[in-house]
Amino acid sequence: MSLDILDSRRTAAPDLLRFGVPLALALVLVVFSLLAPGFLTLSNIVGVLVNNVALAAIVSIAMTLTVASGGTDLSVGTAVDLGSLAFVSTIIAGQPVWIAALIGVLAGVGTGLFNALLIAGLSITPFLATLGTLFIGHSLQQLTTDGGNPVYVPTGSIPPALAFIGHGSVLGVPLALWLVAVLAIGAWLLLAKSRFGREVLAVGTEPQVALYSGLPVRAVLAFIYIASAAIASIAGILISANVNAYVPYSGNAYLLNSIGAAFIGTSLSRTRRANIPGTLLGVLLLGFVSNGLLLIGWNFYWQQVGSGLLIFLALLLAFTGRRDTA
Amino acid sequence: MRGLVKTFGPTRALDGASLTVAPGTVHGLVGQNGAGKSTLIKVLAGLVAPDAGDIEVGGTPLGPLTPRRAEELGIAFIHQDRLLVPTATVGEALFLGQERLGSRHGLWRGRLERRAAGLLDRFFGISLPKGALIQDLTTAQQQIVQITRALLADPKIIVFDEPTASLSRREVDHLFDAIGQLKAHGLTSIYISHYLAEIERICDAVTVMRNGRDVAHVDPRTTGTAEITRLMVDRDVKDLFPRHNATPGAPALSVSGLAAPPAFRDVSFTLHRGEVLGLTGLLGSGAKELVRSLFGLSPARAGRIEVDGRPVRLGSPGAAVRQAIAMVPEDRRAQGVALALGMRENMTLASLPAFSRFGFIDRARERLRVSQLIDELKIKTSGPEAAVRTLSGGNQQKVVIAKWLARQSRIYVLDEPTVGVDVAAKAEIYRLIARLAEQGAAILLLSADLDELLGVSDRILVMYRGELVSEHIPSETTSAQLLAASVSGTRAEDTAHVA
Repeated sequence: MSLDILDSRRTAAPDLLRFGVPLALALVLVVFSLLAPGFLTLSNIVGVLVNNVALAAIVSIAMTLTVASGGTDLSVGTAVDLGSLAFVSTIIAGQPVWIAALIGVLAGVGTGLFNALLIAGLSITPFLATLGTLFIGHSLQQLTTDGGNPVYVPTGSIPPALAFIGHGSVLGVPLALWLVAVLAIGAWLLLAKSRFGREVLAVGTEPQVALYSGLPVRAVLAFIYIASAAIASIAGILISANVNAYVPYSGNAYLLNSIGAAFIGTSLSRTRRANIPGTLLGVLLLGFVSNGLLLIGWNFYWQQVGSGLLIFLALLLAFTGRRDTA
Repeated sequence: MRGLVKTFGPTRALDGASLTVAPGTVHGLVGQNGAGKSTLIKVLAGLVAPDAGDIEVGGTPLGPLTPRRAEELGIAFIHQDRLLVPTATVGEALFLGQERLGSRHGLWRGRLERRAAGLLDRFFGISLPKGALIQDLTTAQQQIVQITRALLADPKIIVFDEPTASLSRREVDHLFDAIGQLKAHGLTSIYISHYLAEIERICDAVTVMRNGRDVAHVDPRTTGTAEITRLMVDRDVKDLFPRHNATPGAPALSVSGLAAPPAFRDVSFTLHRGEVLGLTGLLGSGAKELVRSLFGLSPARAGRIEVDGRPVRLGSPGAAVRQAIAMVPEDRRAQGVALALGMRENMTLASLPAFSRFGFIDRARERLRVSQLIDELKIKTSGPEAAVRTLSGGNQQKVVIAKWLARQSRIYVLDEPTVGVDVAAKAEIYRLIARLAEQGAAILLLSADLDELLGVSDRILVMYRGELVSEHIPSETTSAQLLAASVSGTRAEDTAHVA
């Protein structure tokens, strides 16, 4: 009787929260365009999208897959780096760019396969399994680069295809944004519309029920971790093409942002599920906040405080919602 | 308590209910969900003020009760949820908030523990491991600590509200010993439970409630559980256990020489279409493991399984589902229904290929089928998108069965399907089982409820220490014979057909 009243309040509250992230994004845009004159210009916005958002978006899409399956992938950065390393090494070896890209993605698939083995094969918690992969990946990069030296594609022999991947546009839109669009639509279809996405949802929220319904729980998890690393390695290829080099450990910079974006994104869903549109909004929010803070002249070292506060806020909202329904 | 009336808005939760408990007895209070048991108890606890009626303790009429007043009168309550701090020691938990009862300053833990041990020994004759934490104890031991905690206030009446809901069978025995001890100390107990077998075992008198009223006062030693059930639901028991009128057809599932040491070995039986085959056995008999292996959860090591006459391997739940085998697991809330998902997502979980086109889910088709299933099984819900967590236990169980109907499963493995649901929901689940059989499904029903097995099965198999020891025909068997077979493995050649 009195409980019913509580229940109706519970379902109403998260509905309000769902508009929190879009509202926050709007607020950020308005505040910074008032404070920083250069903020709301086409060149700045395209700059933010291409430089801050595109790569973070790709890694965050990868992260969304694993979060949806009930885990996390702490080794997304490792897949970025190994993809980049394999890509650059193959180009330096004189192979065509498309073969190098293929090998770069294969390096990502390899990383994912390793995670899949640990998680789906040996039933190790995703958090610990991917943390181990992160450590191993770090050592691997140190070993192959004499302790962390960048590997450059010689300036004289940069293939035109590499320059195109790094800086080219199609129909006036930078290639990186096309890639984000394709990956985002693909991942959205997969998670929200496909049969496999439903299986991921069941495995992610109710692994026991999924098992007792005959779903191939292990295969679903294996695929998710392989897909996550493969997508992350595409970001690695883009980074390398941008700077014509492989810079060790650069992928880890995206790890925290991607976790933040994926969880900020869950607040967009009534049932607090990981979803691609939410993740993209999270990436935009984080990207514009750090760009805006830069433009109003905040000390660079303080910028992460802004991102940190945002992530706290999002996680707080996401987990209060979960606690209610628990 | 006499002539109590309590209305909540338009609902008359209590409609002239009376309850008379003789001192020094264990008094059972039974009724379906919504019969008014909990409201009656809340009145006694002073949590709910009645609109009419009066309450006497020891012949003295009492004014309005408050929780404080109830405590002063010596009425204590044991709920099914154990409200103890998991990381506290037994002594700390026992004396929490009343440390001075344990030792003079409440500071000396050693003394606290010794006093606690003394009390546990005095009331229940049990000793817990020295320095044990609450979380190290079994559920029953925790419950005994909680009862002891209630006893510190020196109560005269103790009310047990569904205390065995989360206890294993052996733990229930310990709890009953404890209640027996209380009776020996001259205390009065009021015992509320769904499980009539428990009532029969420990109660001296029983009050049956229905629709907010006490409808009968019976002596459980002379009145059987069947009669009490009839009083609770106001229906005959043969309506409670509806028999299907299908004639068993071709073999659906044949098992020969199945073994998974050390759980079970050399198990052979045949389950026919349109047949309800009962299976029972104590913990450790291997019955549970057998059922799990038939759904590919822990595959058998040796033996042969045939589905519709074809040999199959059941290496995973997925393989079992492909053979149209369905599983209704015992732990409904963790394994049966996905509480985080909606009705539609739950019901199509085992048959996603049927609801997809080119790998994408056809939600319109899903919604259509789910709506049909909701109507067909009479699930009380607001629609296909409703959350499953708000449903009653019986309705949740129907969602699990609907999931397999959507899959068009032909072999149903039911593992304690009526645990934790009330009598009315039980009857509905039995009707569903009967209907499945009439539609040609083959049903293997694992249950510890012997009356249930006798009521709905065509044949009953009993397992004992990993082996199938006997096969019984319900019409020629009593629950005592079934029990004898499961506790001692007696093959009871003269009354039963040997497997």
